[in-house]
Amino acid sequence: MLVTLAFRNLWRNQRRTLLTLSAMVVSAALLILALGVFSGMFKDMLASATEQYYGHLVLAEPAYHQRRELFSSLPAELADLPALRDAPEITGRSPRLRSFGLLSRRDTSQPVELLGVLPELEQQVTTLHQHLTAGRYPAPSDRNAALIGKGLASKLNVQPGDELVFVTQAADGSIGNDLLFVSGIFATGDSRHDNNLVLAPLNWLQQVLVLPGRIHEVAMLVSDPLNAALVAARLNPQLPDNLEVLDWGALLPEMREVIAAYDVSRMIIVTILYLATGLGILNTFFMSVMERTREFGILMAQGMRPWAIRRLVLLETLLLGCIALTIGLLCGALMTLYMQQIGIDLAGYITPVTYAGGTILPRLHAVFEPGNFSVPAGMLLLVSLFAGFLPANRAARLDPVAAVREE
Amino acid sequence: MPLIELKNVSKIYRLGSQSVTALSELSLLFEAGEFAVLAGPSGSGKTTALNLIGCLDRPTSGQVIVSGMNLGTASSRQLADFRLQHIGFIFQSYNLIPVLTAAENAEFTLMLQKVPKKSRRERVRRLFAELGIDGLEERRPADLSGGQQQRVAIARAMAGNPQVILADEPTANLDSHTAEELLELMRRLNREQGTTFVFSSHDDRVISQARRVIRLEDGCLSDDTGADR
Ligand SMILES: Nc1ncnc2c1ncn2[C@@H]1O[C@H](COP(=O)(O)OP(=O)(O)OP(=O)(O)O)[C@@H](O)[C@H]1O
Ligand SMILES: [Mg+2]
Repeated sequence: MLVTLAFRNLWRNQRRTLLTLSAMVVSAALLILALGVFSGMFKDMLASATEQYYGHLVLAEPAYHQRRELFSSLPAELADLPALRDAPEITGRSPRLRSFGLLSRRDTSQPVELLGVLPELEQQVTTLHQHLTAGRYPAPSDRNAALIGKGLASKLNVQPGDELVFVTQAADGSIGNDLLFVSGIFATGDSRHDNNLVLAPLNWLQQVLVLPGRIHEVAMLVSDPLNAALVAARLNPQLPDNLEVLDWGALLPEMREVIAAYDVSRMIIVTILYLATGLGILNTFFMSVMERTREFGILMAQGMRPWAIRRLVLLETLLLGCIALTIGLLCGALMTLYMQQIGIDLAGYITPVTYAGGTILPRLHAVFEPGNFSVPAGMLLLVSLFAGFLPANRAARLDPVAAVREE
Repeated sequence: MPLIELKNVSKIYRLGSQSVTALSELSLLFEAGEFAVLAGPSGSGKTTALNLIGCLDRPTSGQVIVSGMNLGTASSRQLADFRLQHIGFIFQSYNLIPVLTAAENAEFTLMLQKVPKKSRRERVRRLFAELGIDGLEERRPADLSGGQQQRVAIARAMAGNPQVILADEPTANLDSHTAEELLELMRRLNREQGTTFVFSSHDDRVISQARRVIRLEDGCLSDDTGADR
């Protein structure tokens, strides 16, 4: 009956309740949407660095990442190390050999970073095969097929099928060079990759560098990128001293900071936005309690305890919070879904921004992340309760004599 | 033992530097089953006295003893519990809860008393029949006439089986015919069920219906006639 009473009290002043309700719904829904878009941006940023280049974990010699020394090479069999193979979180392992050199077409040359990979394994770690604009991804049977970035392709003025010459220093001190043919062109939106990165068959590069059976690193993908540091910490003790697994956070400390700060910034954004909403609720319920002073007096005269009066008002705010929450979550989810499926393309207005080692693409695109729903939801209920607390206290402390006397 | 005992009760309101003496050194006894009216001009302290008897307010000095309980030191929660079990209120302007139906208004006290739903419904049904308002159970107060609302208010006050019902000018907002009917109803309840009624009025026709008339003037007892003893 108390719930019935609370519910009917809510609908007493329909317009006021609806206005407060819509303020709550709008703030919750927009918050969910905004957080979804933020998460989308972070995800793009992280993906540009990891899923398009590093992977989430990289196994190499401890000093390799600073110097990228040609001679810091390892046996190719390391990709099948039992510790890596048996880790359930690791979903892909790609052995890679890396070389820096010049790529030429007729009289044009460009400096490039060339990764020798096994195409079928590389596809389990990076997503370049999803970013093809022309041609095809190199096949395992291709001897000297190359996948190159769009920027590089236009600078060299090549198309799929064209031939290129790669020149670099080989491990035996000679000048290594050989022919490549362009099998496909990718575009990620990240200019560093699009202008500079080339994938070629591992065997071919091993021959050019005179490093048969050797690799520089094993790039790996894990199921939850935010878990990568934990997986790395667990793997490292199982590895010999001359090997080390680094997670993307260790490779890109700035990005790790930015993403770690997200949880805090989310709290701050939610708090600021809800502060305004909370004041709205507070105002509504203060008015509603003041208007009902006499009624509270009657209820008290009837023998309702002050605590029960307090509970009644809190029940009303909480009820309003729950209704707002249901609608807000629904609207927020629908808008997030729209932004996830369709999104807004800003390519015509702004260019990609490189930030903290990743690239933010010129688009608004949302992703679903549980925290983006649970934090606004939980906070909305908290805010409703807090905002209800003062009016509830006020109602509970009314002097029944004065309250009944009130006209 | 008297049901209600006021011993040298004073109530002084302070308004800034001024103080208003609403009741001064009032002593009264009520036995169970009385049907008494507090009469007196406006501002004489009728409402103040009813509020003290009803444990809604605390005296500035003196003692109020209801049903053997001295409530001078009770907390507001204890007072609320006491009112719930022992006292029913009827107000001049009915004061039903507008969002509850007539039946729900009457049922509310029983709900606070934790009476099971089924017996609540049954009790309210019988009360409504007794008060001649059966059939109006599902109406909201706004859809009832003043007389009907006041009957629902009586049902509400009676529902919890209180020992005493306090009514502050219960007929002041009603026309004389309806007022007469309502008064007759309260008298019948007093006769048949033995419920003690103390009400206030400054309407002489109403006052003449009471068995005991207590006259107040400026917060003092000026006359007390027809007491049971
Ligand atoms: N809250 C208050 N603050 C100050 N003075 C008050 C307060 N309540 C009552 N009084 C004063 O106490 C006196 C008695 O008031 P009370 O309401 O008991 O009179 P009453 O007999 O019920 O009058 P009426 O017939 O007009 O209802 C009056 O002078 C009134 O002004
Ligand atoms: Mg009065």
